[in-house]
Amino acid sequence: MIKMILFRKFRVLILMVFLVACTMHIMIDLLPKLEKRGAGADGVDGGCQCAHHPGAQSQGWGKQRARSAADAGWPNKHTLRILQDFSNEPSSNLTSHSLEKITAAADGAESRRRSGPSAGRTGDHKPLIRDTSGGRTAPVRGASRLSALFQHPFYKLDLPPLTEEDTLFNVNTDIRFYPRATGNQGWHDEEGNEEEDFSPTGEVTAESYPNWLRFHIGINRYELYSRHDPVLDALLKDLVTQRVTSVAMKSGGTQLKLIMTFQNYGQALFKPMKQTREQETPPDFFYFSDFERHNAEIAAFHLDRILDFRRVPPVAGRLVNMTREIRDVTRDKKLWRTFFISPANNVCFYGECSYYCSTEHALCGKPDQIEGSLAAFLPDLNLAKRKTWRNPWRRSYHKRKKAEWEVDPDYCDEVKQTPPYDRGTRLLDVMDMTIFDFLMGNMDRHHYETFEKFGNYTFIIHLDNGRGFGKHSHDELSILVPLSQCCRVRKSTYLRLQLLAKEEYQLSSLMEESLLRDRLSPVLIKPHLQAMDRRLRLVLRVLAGCVEKESYVNVVEEDLVGDTATHRSPGH
Amino acid sequence: EPVTEGSKLEKLFAHPLYNIQTPGLTPEERLLEAKQLMEYYKRKASRWERHMKLYSEAAAASNITVSKHKVTFDSDANWLKFHLGINRYALYSRDDPAIGKLLRDMQNMTVIGADYTQDEKALKGACDCTQVVKPSGHHLKLALKMQNYAKAMFKPMRQQRDEETPEDVFYFVDFQRHNAEVAAFHLDRILDFCRVPPVAGRLVNVTGEVLHVTYNDDLRAVFFVSPANNTCFFAKCLYVCKTEYAVCGSPHLLEGSMAAYLPSLSIAPRISIPNPWIRSYTFTRKEEWEVNPFFCDNVKQLYPYNSGNRLLNIIDMSIFDFLTSNMDRHHYEIFTKFGDEGFLLHLDNARGFGKHSKDEMSILAPLSQCCMIKRSTLLRLQLLARPEYRLSDVMRESLQRDLLQPILTEPHLLALDRRLQKVMRVVQRCVRRLGEDKVVTKDFARYTAK
Repeated sequence: MIKMILFRKFRVLILMVFLVACTMHIMIDLLPKLEKRGAGADGVDGGCQCAHHPGAQSQGWGKQRARSAADAGWPNKHTLRILQDFSNEPSSNLTSHSLEKITAAADGAESRRRSGPSAGRTGDHKPLIRDTSGGRTAPVRGASRLSALFQHPFYKLDLPPLTEEDTLFNVNTDIRFYPRATGNQGWHDEEGNEEEDFSPTGEVTAESYPNWLRFHIGINRYELYSRHDPVLDALLKDLVTQRVTSVAMKSGGTQLKLIMTFQNYGQALFKPMKQTREQETPPDFFYFSDFERHNAEIAAFHLDRILDFRRVPPVAGRLVNMTREIRDVTRDKKLWRTFFISPANNVCFYGECSYYCSTEHALCGKPDQIEGSLAAFLPDLNLAKRKTWRNPWRRSYHKRKKAEWEVDPDYCDEVKQTPPYDRGTRLLDVMDMTIFDFLMGNMDRHHYETFEKFGNYTFIIHLDNGRGFGKHSHDELSILVPLSQCCRVRKSTYLRLQLLAKEEYQLSSLMEESLLRDRLSPVLIKPHLQAMDRRLRLVLRVLAGCVEKESYVNVVEEDLVGDTATHRSPGH
Repeated sequence: EPVTEGSKLEKLFAHPLYNIQTPGLTPEERLLEAKQLMEYYKRKASRWERHMKLYSEAAAASNITVSKHKVTFDSDANWLKFHLGINRYALYSRDDPAIGKLLRDMQNMTVIGADYTQDEKALKGACDCTQVVKPSGHHLKLALKMQNYAKAMFKPMRQQRDEETPEDVFYFVDFQRHNAEVAAFHLDRILDFCRVPPVAGRLVNVTGEVLHVTYNDDLRAVFFVSPANNTCFFAKCLYVCKTEYAVCGSPHLLEGSMAAYLPSLSIAPRISIPNPWIRSYTFTRKEEWEVNPFFCDNVKQLYPYNSGNRLLNIIDMSIFDFLTSNMDRHHYEIFTKFGDEGFLLHLDNARGFGKHSKDEMSILAPLSQCCMIKRSTLLRLQLLARPEYRLSDVMRESLQRDLLQPILTEPHLLALDRRLQKVMRVVQRCVRRLGEDKVVTKDFARYTAK
């Protein structure tokens, strides 16, 4: 009998706690911007489970969220990106970031965490990473080509003035409700930080946000981050130093990737090292069976910055302890099960994915340290939807078939008449991307993404660069086909490319210097660096050929005169 | 004997130890009768002709290029002689001229047909990518038929000669190496075991000698042309599971090993028996023999290891595997006709010669735990340790006869000498412990004459 009563009481308690949790969810959900995708279903089981520790409710709940995010099979929303694998069976290949669907709900007053803000504030935007080499602090030496480059007038062109329509988030109205970070709603984080930082009226200063959130806030219509944003270095540092609190396997992708969640609730995509720096892609490999390389991800970010595109999310290299930072913090059984000790007594794992996830391709540490790239997550898809576009110059992803552009020399004329390539800057953005991919030798650009909020008048996000830098001895000219078929380029891009071909701004030395800041330096071996100089000359030759054939004004799009906004603005 | 110039290999084979006459063979002691084999061969040939007719009509109807080759029925073929020579003591006799000719046949005779091997067909296309240990049918190998109906198993090159197995790789995920197959045959012959079917290296034109002569649609479907314009093909399951990429010719020629087929199971049945010293084939678990130093005492009690030569044969096999460093000997085969006293076939040696810098002592467990060895084996090992017959030298010389030489790199050859020393040291330790009479056993089959 007593048992019965106790049991009933307990049930009532569970029910109460459940109701409280649900009410809280609903409250959050009703807040603007977040209403569309609340914590609804997920929240329910979160609430139920944390009922067992009513006292620790909020933190239990926070943890719960993290787990349900990690465990739940993600709904395959972006099945647009179907990549035929090398046995020609379709398998969905979601973009590296399209799955970060940790639901938006609040998660703990993270903004009040000292580590995050302090890392971002004050003079901390020193080159994280290697203390020895002169990174950005180097300009004192006066020999830094990189700082000279960024001093060049071509790297000082201003953006058009930003209106509210041009930023991804409105700091005043949106960010307050950003999950996990701003820490209102009275959620306490585990460490129970002091309350002063927090003010429910939204006076949480932007500087107190964790760096990943400040990065998200900074995204606008024209760029992922601004040229000299101190947040960027702080974010890169976070990627390397923040404690990993949980790890999940990214489902849906072709090759093994892990989602790492940090102590400040930031998240990043981890790609482990699969090949040594010296290894080249075997000549008989198709572009779609190539390995993804962690160093290519890192190098792509640096290259993109040197080209002043700023369309690649920040990536840093990190030595990860496989035992402490992966195996012991994952709740993913499937991942956990694949850990083993090799005959040479190293820790190995192989995970679960459709490409190269087998014992034959196990990733082994030395004895438990493994290199990898960590790419900062873009804002949650619930807060900033993205559109996925099929690249018009997509390859066939088939061993025998050819794509249309490979057989039709006038293919670009067709593309130019198809929206969204018939107006705005989209075609020019594709040209920029083509040049970027050619310099890296990345043949795997089947899709690209944009932020939905900005419509068709915005930049292209350069995600998924792991298949670049596979062969230094080969220049894959077919990547340049969009450029040679369309013969269009932005003037700003053209000028910068010419600049980077000059002796004093040589692309390879700039890249070398920039990559020195990464902890995994050297990220690229010399031959890859030199290949970029060679490829840059090839790009310039193609452009010179275009100019000769179709005259300068028809090839080079003027984007530097006065108010550049004219052809960029949405009002077009 | 004084060290003289000239062939160490010839001198080795001239040594009295290698010239013990086997007792005359009774028909019972031969595997096959000539009449029986010829009948089988005739039936096969007429069936092939019949199928060819049907296939060529079907191929013509569906527009597939198939090269036609003339097939010759040759009752004097070398592979027939090889099959007829198999007896209860060995697969072949070392001085049989047919063996040398068979090796040459496999190197240059026209290929008229290509197909998957039986164990691959038996899987019926089922691929379970979660299996950690892949069944042998998953590995890339083909059955090639030659002009005179001889059949050989082709294993393509997967690794460069100077590549070693990475240290983190378990024995059951290691590559299959074509050169290990070739080298194992030569080593087996030098040890005078004669238990490995003849293997020769060959440059195969994968387009002309495989793709264009196969009548198997599944096999044709795995061929493609790579971005570097090479003809490639792959093992379906390993490819689908993305554990292995394809093998490619350059642009058509591909190195591989050709192992002569044994007589068909329908006329010479064999049984496959698990090795008592089998490994766990898991990442963590250990087998009893790995933890129990007295494991052999148990084995000695068990049939068929409790009498006769069987245990000594296992120990021979472990010495052979230790020299090649093959950890993947999970089963061994015997011909049913010869019963428990028959010799053990050393098939499938492709996982040997993976690491020259490491000697895997656990392979020698049967010897070190049982502490017994055939006198004949020990005498030959002692001979091969002497400078004038040094194992690495005779192996080098023997391997030079192969088309694909060098088959083994120097470090692998030198590792053979080092491992031989280690075998002898294990025997010495046993002798010190138990006395020579208990350790060095007179084997009572082949060498009773001595």
